[in-house]
Amino acid sequence: MENLANITLFILQGAVVTLKIYSITIIFSIPLGMLFAMGKLTKIPPLRWILEAYTWVFRGTPLLLQLLFVYFGLPYLGMELSREMAAYVTFVVNYAAYFTEIFRAGIQSVEKGQYEAAKALGMNFRMTMRRIIIPQAIKVILPPTGNEAVTLIKDTALASVIALAEILRNAKSMVSRNASIEGYIIAAILYLIMTFVIINIFKHIEKRFAYYQ
Amino acid sequence: MEEIIRVENLHKGFDTLKVLKGIDFTVKRGEIISVIGPSGSGKSTLLRCLNHLEVADKGSISFENNYIAKADATGKAIYKRNKEVIKICSNIGMVFQNFNLFPHKSVLGNIIEAPIMVKGKSKKEAVKSAENLLDKVGLKDKRDSYPYQLSGGQKQRVAIARALAMDPEIMLFDEPTSALDPELIGEVLQVIKNLAEERMTMLIVTHEMNFAREISDRIIFMDDGKIVVDGVPDDIFVNPEHPRIKTFLNKVL
Repeated sequence: MENLANITLFILQGAVVTLKIYSITIIFSIPLGMLFAMGKLTKIPPLRWILEAYTWVFRGTPLLLQLLFVYFGLPYLGMELSREMAAYVTFVVNYAAYFTEIFRAGIQSVEKGQYEAAKALGMNFRMTMRRIIIPQAIKVILPPTGNEAVTLIKDTALASVIALAEILRNAKSMVSRNASIEGYIIAAILYLIMTFVIINIFKHIEKRFAYYQ
Repeated sequence: MEEIIRVENLHKGFDTLKVLKGIDFTVKRGEIISVIGPSGSGKSTLLRCLNHLEVADKGSISFENNYIAKADATGKAIYKRNKEVIKICSNIGMVFQNFNLFPHKSVLGNIIEAPIMVKGKSKKEAVKSAENLLDKVGLKDKRDSYPYQLSGGQKQRVAIARALAMDPEIMLFDEPTSALDPELIGEVLQVIKNLAEERMTMLIVTHEMNFAREISDRIIFMDDGKIVVDGVPDDIFVNPEHPRIKTFLNKVL
């Protein structure tokens, strides 16, 4: 019994690392995604091409590869990052690419007539985006954003390959040390709790936007 | 009477398709003008050029003697700075075929949005005048409804109230009843008729011939990107001299 408590405690220490990666990724990748989505919708071609290439590369290669590239690969180019930094940078840049596409699609899903109505009423572009387009886009954006937010919880486990002591890594070492399965089960329970919370947060937000069709 | 809109030699094309091929006309304060003509004749495009939803290629457009776009030596339309154009165009109200209400805002929210954001009215003031307008279009009880809860005719009446809330000098109607079920057309036409009685200046693109004939001071008949006739209703409906008008009326009446 004491052993089980020790295992749990050790894995919970990993959960702190997991949640750190998670919150830093969310905090930075969502605003970045918004910014990049706006960039993609501008009429400045070079900016659009650069962002197009960016989303293609980061959505088109495995996150695992990107992590290895940043942590083990970049030092060969003279850029050395700590484990934590490597994980933060990779997750933020990777998730921002997904959010860019989600937000772009959401903004584009708003009908042209909405821009025209706003313009006919004398609203400038900023007002139109802030008051008319973005609020409608959010409704479209919420479900796929929720999906990403859940996926991210599970993707943080990938950070174990660069030896970051997050949930999975700690679970794994408990399993090998004790030659018993508890570590994995506790890890699974922790992931389930976290995803349960995230899913319900998004359910709640989506409900707030259900007042119109 | 005072001129509100003057259009000179207006040209507009989309890629290779020329839609407007040299339009000249004026609108005076208090005039009610219907624009009729076959599909694809450029009626909607003309209306949309007036409030800058489309950018004209050639010609001049002015509003109350201020140029929105002025033709240069080669005839090319040179627009004022975007900020000024938006400001001028906020005096021009527009009602769309597909209503284009803001779905995330209540009926009241739709109407008070621009007066507050653009004109800087206080919320209290905006709500008060919105309520008057809703009364005018017969939708006082729908104040807190959302657009999805309304019929097409009700939506269009809200859209009219929303445009009127900006106290426009002129109202543009782009086929306001074309997207409506037949039994809902009457209620929208009635609201427009009421505005006509108040001598609101209006430019109405419509396929409702009887309505156009009844309320208009002038009728503009367009075909193939040009104004064929610009005259009183009788010029069109009683003595149509032009063969193209005859053909058109035979089809629609």
